Amino acid sequence: MTMETHGMMAITGLGLWTDRHADAAAWLSAAPPSSDADEPPAKAPAATLDRRSRRRASIITRALAEVFEQAVTQAGVDPAAVATVFGSAVGEANTMIGLLDQMWREQTDMSPMKFALSVHNAASGLTTIGAKNTRFTTSLAADWDTPAMALIEAAGLLACGHERVVVVCGDEAAPVDLVPAADQFELLAAAVVLEPLATTEPTRRLATLGSPALGNGAATHHSIDASDTIVRNPQVGLLNIVDAVMRSAWGSVPLDAGRGRGYRVSLQA
Amino acid sequence: MPTTASDNAHAQLAPLAITAFGLANALGTDRAAVLHALRNSQTGLGPSPVAVPFETAAGSVDIGVSELPGDLAPWTTRTASIARQILGQAGMPEALARLRSRFAPERVAVFMGTSTAGADCTEAAYRHYVAHGALPAAYDFARQHTYGAILHVVRELTGARGPAWMLSTACTSSAKPFASAQRLIHAGVIDAAIVGGIDTLCAMTLRGFHSLGALAETPCRPFSAERAGISIGEGGALMVVERVSDSTDPVALLEGVGETSDAYHISAPHPDGSGAEAAMRMAMAQAGQRVGDVDYVNAHGTGTRLNDAAEGKAIGRVFGPSVPVVSTKCYTGHTLGGAGATEAALAILSLQEGFIPAALGADPLDEKLEIRVSSEPLVQPLTRVISNSFAFGGNNVSLLLAKPSGSGA
Repeated sequence: MTMETHGMMAITGLGLWTDRHADAAAWLSAAPPSSDADEPPAKAPAATLDRRSRRRASIITRALAEVFEQAVTQAGVDPAAVATVFGSAVGEANTMIGLLDQMWREQTDMSPMKFALSVHNAASGLTTIGAKNTRFTTSLAADWDTPAMALIEAAGLLACGHERVVVVCGDEAAPVDLVPAADQFELLAAAVVLEPLATTEPTRRLATLGSPALGNGAATHHSIDASDTIVRNPQVGLLNIVDAVMRSAWGSVPLDAGRGRGYRVSLQA
Repeated sequence: MPTTASDNAHAQLAPLAITAFGLANALGTDRAAVLHALRNSQTGLGPSPVAVPFETAAGSVDIGVSELPGDLAPWTTRTASIARQILGQAGMPEALARLRSRFAPERVAVFMGTSTAGADCTEAAYRHYVAHGALPAAYDFARQHTYGAILHVVRELTGARGPAWMLSTACTSSAKPFASAQRLIHAGVIDAAIVGGIDTLCAMTLRGFHSLGALAETPCRPFSAERAGISIGEGGALMVVERVSDSTDPVALLEGVGETSDAYHISAPHPDGSGAEAAMRMAMAQAGQRVGDVDYVNAHGTGTRLNDAAEGKAIGRVFGPSVPVVSTKCYTGHTLGGAGATEAALAILSLQEGFIPAALGADPLDEKLEIRVSSEPLVQPLTRVISNSFAFGGNNVSLLLAKPSGSGA
């Protein structure tokens, strides 16, 4: 059964960060890693965050702030004047492990700053503080359906009068102590700026997006060329969109990699 | 610059019918028990059942962990047990059956909120891991810890097959699902939703708030001059919401929701309460209601110096000194991610009963706050209540709830 969930939206900006790709252009060019493979991955620059927040932020929060900035920059919109929907399946789970280590392994007092930044909306909070953005913000989770659900929440916001919404989704490598090796994935964060199709200048449109719908057939979009550890990331659906827009590969784009409920979205020029 | 209602311009949205609700918290595990405690000014706070190396009061739910039925058994957690119990409370099975008979399952959503998700399971499992070098055999991160786990349980228990997500915005987590449902029903994406949220007690949150210097040793005293911090609680509430129609028989209406962001500090409110003020004004504007239409403010009122001062200023500016203000956290404790739904449910009980509970421990009042906090229960007809939730990250939500017309307001 196919369920149309809402109207059409314009994509006006994209953002992407992985351990091996600093933006969507790097992804498209399939450039080799920018640093030696044995070196630890670089942390996202996350210039939106103030210096103190950047130093304290987790890997995933920095990556989410980075893709937010990339996307609003490409869209040419004021980062202080957009609604934001952050999505992450496991969020700050690694920060939580740090707190549990303090409790059970080190038996020390808990760091108040680490505790404050262990909330799922740490990225939403720090990014909006850094951008001086007092508009709507939220932070949601839905396992492998997180990108689809974030897009539906964004569609609802646009339907209720918001002029533009940035969907920012990401997950970092899940805690190795808690998750079986076969389920491990690597860092991926992606963002899209969405605006109502009817009010977006055609010259600003990178693509036109439908609303996520449950599908019963094979998606027509080609599969992304990525490692298994990227494909296993719960946010791969948003990477699929970024990849399709960059390649002008129009069609129906899957929003999970077979582990979610099968949401897809239509993408047009 | 503070948020204003116009910054987050919304269409004026139609009210939603709340057709059933259930709740579980330190006061009880059904509406009658909770109401009895509120009427008798009995707090549910007591010594913390979770072992921590300091004194603190906490509110715990009197529900054990019971294995979920059939294929859901691997998802068994304390959070899931509480959810299942709430879904079985009087009126909920009937309302859910009615949804199933009226709407396609794909048109019924599940929007929930939590801040802890399965943290209680994970902290126990991790303690075992540190001590023994291996996780307990029964521990499953995907089915017991993640935000998606409890969503799966509620979807399976209710048959809802529409969009489903967990909001996790700290202490506004279970207030925001009401807004998600309102928007998507307005947009025609869904017909109905199960909304709410649940948090459970764990050492990590108790120690975390202790590390921030925000935890009270004795039961919290919101808006008192002698307030000394938060008491943590657990629990939550779940509700059925749908479009108002001739065939609905609502227990309450969700008239408006205000959502703002301070963009100020990760763990402290804007000191002048500007974001909180904007959220309350936005909820009323969305509903087309005025200040004089609100009879009672169910405050966020955590009992910390900074939070109550900021919220008190905001409430004072919006409502002045005459509208009664109570934080029910003096009864339940701060149920964190479950607070928004818990306090919306308590606000509905107030609307139904024409009753405002006493603000326990509020005397002596903080005289700097120019608001009306009553340490005695008030019996008066109530038509509209604002329920506030504010959170880490500067996240603010105000829900405007109303008694249905024709129900004896």
